[in-house]
Amino acid sequence: MNAETHPEVVRSAGTKEKISIRNLSFYYDQSKALKNINLPLYDRTVTAFIGPSGCGKSTLLRILNRIYELYPKQRAEGEVMMDGENILTSKESADSLRSKVGMVFQKPTPFPMSIYDNIAFGIKLYERLSKAEMDERVESALRRAALWDEVKDKLHTSGQGLSGGQQQRLCIARTVAVRPEVILFDEPCSALDPISTAKIEELIDELKADYTIAIVTHNMQQAARCTSFAAFMYLGELIEFDTTEKLFTSPSMPKTQEYITGRFG
Amino acid sequence: MATSALPARRRVRSKVFMGLSIGSALLGLTMLAIILGTLIFKGVSGLNLAVFTEMTPPPGEQGGLLNAIFGSVVMTVIAVIIGTPISILAGTYLAEYGRYRRLSHVVRFINDILLSAPSIVVGLFVYEILVATLGHFSGIAGAVALAILVIPIVVRTTEDMLRLVPDTLREAASSIGTPRWKMIVSIAYRAARTGITTGVLLSVARISGETAPLLFTALNNQFWSTNLNAPLASLPVVIFQFALSPYEDWQQLAWTGALLITLSVLTLSIFARMLTAKKAQR
Amino acid sequence: MSMSETLTATGQIRPKASPSPIGDRVLHALTFGSAVLVLLVLGGVFVSLVHGSLPALQTFGFGFLTTESWNPATDIFGAAAPVYGTLLTSAIALVIAVPVGLGISVFLTELCPNWLARPIAIAIELLAGIPSIIYGIWGLFVLAPFLQRTFQPFMISVFHDVPVLNKLFAGPPYGIGVFTAALILSIMILPFISSVTRDVFETVPSVLKEAAYGLGCTTWEVVRNVVIPHTRAGVIGAIMLALGRALGETMAVTFVIGNAHRISASILAPGTTISATIANEFTEATGDIYTSSLILLGLILFVVTFIVLAAARFMLHRMERGK
Repeated sequence: MNAETHPEVVRSAGTKEKISIRNLSFYYDQSKALKNINLPLYDRTVTAFIGPSGCGKSTLLRILNRIYELYPKQRAEGEVMMDGENILTSKESADSLRSKVGMVFQKPTPFPMSIYDNIAFGIKLYERLSKAEMDERVESALRRAALWDEVKDKLHTSGQGLSGGQQQRLCIARTVAVRPEVILFDEPCSALDPISTAKIEELIDELKADYTIAIVTHNMQQAARCTSFAAFMYLGELIEFDTTEKLFTSPSMPKTQEYITGRFG
Repeated sequence: MATSALPARRRVRSKVFMGLSIGSALLGLTMLAIILGTLIFKGVSGLNLAVFTEMTPPPGEQGGLLNAIFGSVVMTVIAVIIGTPISILAGTYLAEYGRYRRLSHVVRFINDILLSAPSIVVGLFVYEILVATLGHFSGIAGAVALAILVIPIVVRTTEDMLRLVPDTLREAASSIGTPRWKMIVSIAYRAARTGITTGVLLSVARISGETAPLLFTALNNQFWSTNLNAPLASLPVVIFQFALSPYEDWQQLAWTGALLITLSVLTLSIFARMLTAKKAQR
Repeated sequence: MSMSETLTATGQIRPKASPSPIGDRVLHALTFGSAVLVLLVLGGVFVSLVHGSLPALQTFGFGFLTTESWNPATDIFGAAAPVYGTLLTSAIALVIAVPVGLGISVFLTELCPNWLARPIAIAIELLAGIPSIIYGIWGLFVLAPFLQRTFQPFMISVFHDVPVLNKLFAGPPYGIGVFTAALILSIMILPFISSVTRDVFETVPSVLKEAAYGLGCTTWEVVRNVVIPHTRAGVIGAIMLALGRALGETMAVTFVIGNAHRISASILAPGTTISATIANEFTEATGDIYTSSLILLGLILFVVTFIVLAAARFMLHRMERGK
């Protein structure tokens, strides 16, 4: 499923593929967890990865920023093209890649430092800023994450003292502070209450204006609400990729239909 | 249908064994009370200002423990300065860079052995490498022996505390492009710092009372000395010498010295515990 | 636009300066080196002990282990008495400390109300924190005289006419001696046995215990039939760990063992252990053979404790993996 076979999809996206995944396979030691995935992520759109537990959606997400490399015996084969280079084989370091492809995790993980430092930490990795400039960047990141008003008076208190939803927004602020191009969300709301979830979904909706976003979610209503494209996966294979609207209302594959209608999952 | 005799016999047996186990607990607590009690009683009677201001005396004269206290403090501090960085780095290897590697299994094994190894053997080792070779006893040799005792404790606690830092935190740091070393230094160490500090405190408590490794490294010194390259007095060795002597003043000083050591060890242990408790509360 | 530049949110291109990768190489090297250093320390201990004991090894060979004589004047040395003393004091210490230690952990895990368990556990651990020299002087000035006045005369008179046992408990009541040393050792290793077995007991899933209670088992039966079988490897590991400690214990034993280089039938008699011998005689030793024999004793102790501690670790890890 790509621009040649589905030109109307590309037209509706309006822009190019930010990330092109081609013939991607992934191995945990000897077992093949992802089989020959082909998938586009269009620039400045939100794509959902959905499917039952164990289908490989998180595994796929975690290839896009090579975070799997932290662990032994995990390897990826194939192509993940971004800006003309295959990130899997490029000489660029994984750290450098991750400054362009950020990730927000399922469990909010604020660093053990103040709210201000949580944001400043990432920025300091790349830029030397004066205090005034840093203050401005921290504020703008917190505003972007819709957290500024709630924490502006306690910037120097510990990030771990915030509520779950606030911590997750702090993590989002931390991620956008280093100015990535792509943001990956791995079930960002599954540990949160409905109100925080709604806030985060709103946030994702705003962020898509500037970032290419991929979101793994178990929650189909969330996928329907927030995303333009959806990829349905099952047992390590990509079963169907289409616009969210089409996938949810009239999917082409029977397995997709069964999952959408709740026959399994 | 069960007869009523059987349950009774089982109940009685259970009561007997449970009584024995309560008795064991009482026995343990009693021993603690007796030992601490005797220590306080006998040590306090010799506790006066002179203990902290005067040197160890020849038999029959008045004196104090100043040179011994000084020597102990100095050697302990140096031992911690030498031992702690090496241990934290080794523990970091076990928990981070080397976590999945074969070498780590070996290091952990060896470290566990060193943790419970006889300290007198450590004394012999340091004697061979720093005393026999250089031709004289020295405070530095004593400090090195103590450092070798510090290492396994701090390596173990550092690794354990770093392992407690969740991997999700590491991933979060990596995901904004933080290099491994910065993640370890700025995130992992920060998250584990209370635990690592506690480990260091516990190692200090452990070496404060160690005598055997000092016997043939730092030896002993009756007089005031700040020369680390020569024999240096220490509380445990002075206690050893004085307690086994037939002189009453020396024996009294030995008790007082024992009280001082025990108080500092217990204070350190309690302080370390409080640190962990405070961290757990947050 | 290449990978090392970024398009900012406002559309400007800005090069990203990443932190240097040298940091990783440096830290990796430092941590790796330190880990290797730990190995070198143990290796160094072993090598230096072997090196120092070579003269004695060459002179006495394996006969060293069986010779009881220890004569600095004639330079004839044998490890039999210290080895015997080490093994005997540790064995007796275990016989006393294991039941009591297990009793304490059973108490803390099964009988004691929660609010009381923590302070008692802490108190028992304080026993472990007391340095061994304290035990030594307490043993010399308090325990030994006490035993001399009460327990030892009592044991001697009770077994006076009993064959075999009267050799084991023969007088005179010195106060100090093998038995006293073993008693002090048992108090010292008690907290180890208690805290390790307690950790091990607490890994037993409550559902297992509740099921047994539900069937009508008494507390003792639950301990005997559920807790202990479940934790058997761990308990053995704890005992071996305590043994490892007891074997190497120096100061507490040196004060009260009497420092007599001989093997006596009576456990009330004075004797010596490897570590007590080294502690007492090393600085006074003159001559190569004397010093070398002491180092050889140290090597024997090191090898034996190494084996015991390795076995203990193996047991405790088997317990971990079985969970």
